[in-house]
Amino acid sequence: MDLVYFEELMFTLAFGGYTLSAVVFFVFVAMKKDKVGKAAIGLTLFGFGIHTVAIILRVIESGRLPFTNQFEFATSFAWGIVLCYLVLHFAYRFTGVGAFVMPIAFLVMGYASMLPKEIKPLMPALQSGWLYLHVGTAVISYGSFAVAAGLAAMYIIGERQKATGDGRTVLPKSEVCDYLSYRVIAFGYLMLTLVIVTGAIWAKYAWSRYWAWDPKETWSLITWLIYSVYIHLRFNRGWKGKPAAWFAVIGFISVIFTFIGVNNILPSIHSYR
Amino acid sequence: MTIDKFIRRLTSLGLAITLFIFIAAYSIIGTVLPQGLQREFYIESYPSLGSIITTLQFDQVYSSWIFRILLFLFIVNLSGCTLRILPGQLKKMNKDHFPKPKLDGDNLRAENMDLQKFRGILEKKRYAIVEDEKGFKASKHRIGNIGSSVTHLGIIIIILGSFVGNIFAQEGFFNMLPGDIKGFPEYGFSLRLDDFRLGFRDNGTVDQYYSDVTVLRPGGEQFGDTMWVNNPLKVDKVDFFQTSYGWASSLSILGPDGDEENGLLRNGESYFYQPGHLTVYLYGYFPNMTLTSQGEPLTMTEQELNPYYAVILYEFGNHVASEILEPGQELQYKDYTLIFQDSELYTGITYRRDFGYIFVMLGSFLMTLGLIFSFYFYPKHIQVEENSIRTITRQNTWGFDYQVKQMVQQSTGKEE
Repeated sequence: MDLVYFEELMFTLAFGGYTLSAVVFFVFVAMKKDKVGKAAIGLTLFGFGIHTVAIILRVIESGRLPFTNQFEFATSFAWGIVLCYLVLHFAYRFTGVGAFVMPIAFLVMGYASMLPKEIKPLMPALQSGWLYLHVGTAVISYGSFAVAAGLAAMYIIGERQKATGDGRTVLPKSEVCDYLSYRVIAFGYLMLTLVIVTGAIWAKYAWSRYWAWDPKETWSLITWLIYSVYIHLRFNRGWKGKPAAWFAVIGFISVIFTFIGVNNILPSIHSYR
Repeated sequence: MTIDKFIRRLTSLGLAITLFIFIAAYSIIGTVLPQGLQREFYIESYPSLGSIITTLQFDQVYSSWIFRILLFLFIVNLSGCTLRILPGQLKKMNKDHFPKPKLDGDNLRAENMDLQKFRGILEKKRYAIVEDEKGFKASKHRIGNIGSSVTHLGIIIIILGSFVGNIFAQEGFFNMLPGDIKGFPEYGFSLRLDDFRLGFRDNGTVDQYYSDVTVLRPGGEQFGDTMWVNNPLKVDKVDFFQTSYGWASSLSILGPDGDEENGLLRNGESYFYQPGHLTVYLYGYFPNMTLTSQGEPLTMTEQELNPYYAVILYEFGNHVASEILEPGQELQYKDYTLIFQDSELYTGITYRRDFGYIFVMLGSFLMTLGLIFSFYFYPKHIQVEENSIRTITRQNTWGFDYQVKQMVQQSTGKEE
């Protein structure tokens, strides 16, 4: 049995851990029992720990960070989502947020599990230190936007509960979801800016031009513009609540399209399979 | 509409948002429609929309007049907006400025807290404290006031830098065989390709492409260097990039009288032999050939382990032969003999001199710095009176209240 076997095993266990944690988070929101919430966090930590081991094994196997094809980005993206969620959880202790974030991590892991996992040597254009900065910031940025979308969904559902007068809730107050969603988007936006800037510097080294209107570049810019609208409306027009929450969800749809849609639908020099 | 009103609208947030949306929407078109093809392609591929596509320049979105107008308006809007808000932001950076707290804001004062201890905590966290008649005022991160203007300035520099850079950029592409010299009289030097190599992995796939070059100057001065993908060569202010490669193959044609013509063909190129009205088309040189299940030639690797040439021959434009030949193998047609041999790797190099790049980098730095100022060094003010503690910030009211509540807790001696 080699490292590949153990990596796949760890990946599968992590996927299982995230799946279970998403289910247990739902149970927590429905039953409102603290013990269930703690179990959900425990499962998330277990999944995250095992997932980190899977990624480390892949790093050992390939001799580089796992940022070079769709599977590697998908697994890193899911890892980034859970990392951002855990940071948020340990900073503010809002356990219920997991019920909205972990299903996203589960879906991204599910997508990763369907992709070919073989390790291929780096093509010449990818042999650059900028790869790690460019894709590493993308992992954190996309992970943040996923958490923000989860918080926004929680806001929307929290408001509905409020409207129906649905008793005690383990979800944070709507106002808190709203603010946290904004702050997480602000962080993701800064990271996305770095993704675009580092990508431009790298493109200049590899392809002679820092910007070529490649579909991936363009969709990153479109995503950046969508979040720019959000940030301006929020900061200058006091946009809060439902419209802001829906906008956070739309922004995340654009993120997903930039990652999956562009790679599969639009031919691009960024289409690394 | 008065001029004042027009300027207000031109520099308004409403126009900025509208432009964000239009630029994004217009950009999407460029990602779904093939760009830069012949007009006929759009007319044939999209019969009902073809003329609209070409009229509105959807076939060249990013260099179209509509896109340029959108960007121009964006620059005007952003510049005007920045000039409008900057004086106020600079005023807020003055240490005498202290905004008024919201009347309906929460009072974070805890009953049993020690105000002196709280003040000590604030000082430790580098708040600037100013005494007043009712208590004191604490402020931090006034630099964050100009965050948005710094970001805007960065974006303006990026757009103008790339626009000016693209207008004046000098660029081109050329192929070279080892020994070739490419002159750049406008820059005062020449480039000689000494060697072009492929780096192979153990499984025979290409790991990297290397061009060994020598830069020659008129006075006899020269220096050598190697470029590869991601490692461009900079000579004075011109960058050279390893872009592509290919095989060039020697063709010899022997006529009935013993006369001989020679040519050098790259894959996909043709050679016209006048005496016999023959056109020799080199479909491809396959250094390590295999045949697909459909009988198509394919190279396994770029290593010359099993080399073959796929050649198609035309006479007066009519197809007369298709052959797969070994190096040196003769192809006889009527009284003519064709031989392919001695294939050699050539390199493809792009050069570019871009005046705008430095501005784009400067703008990117400012844009990022401005965002960091805005999001993480946003101005924080705390007004402390005998019976009240109130926070004032625009960027992150909930988060700031949360931090101050923790500091208040610490000053009661009961840390959370």
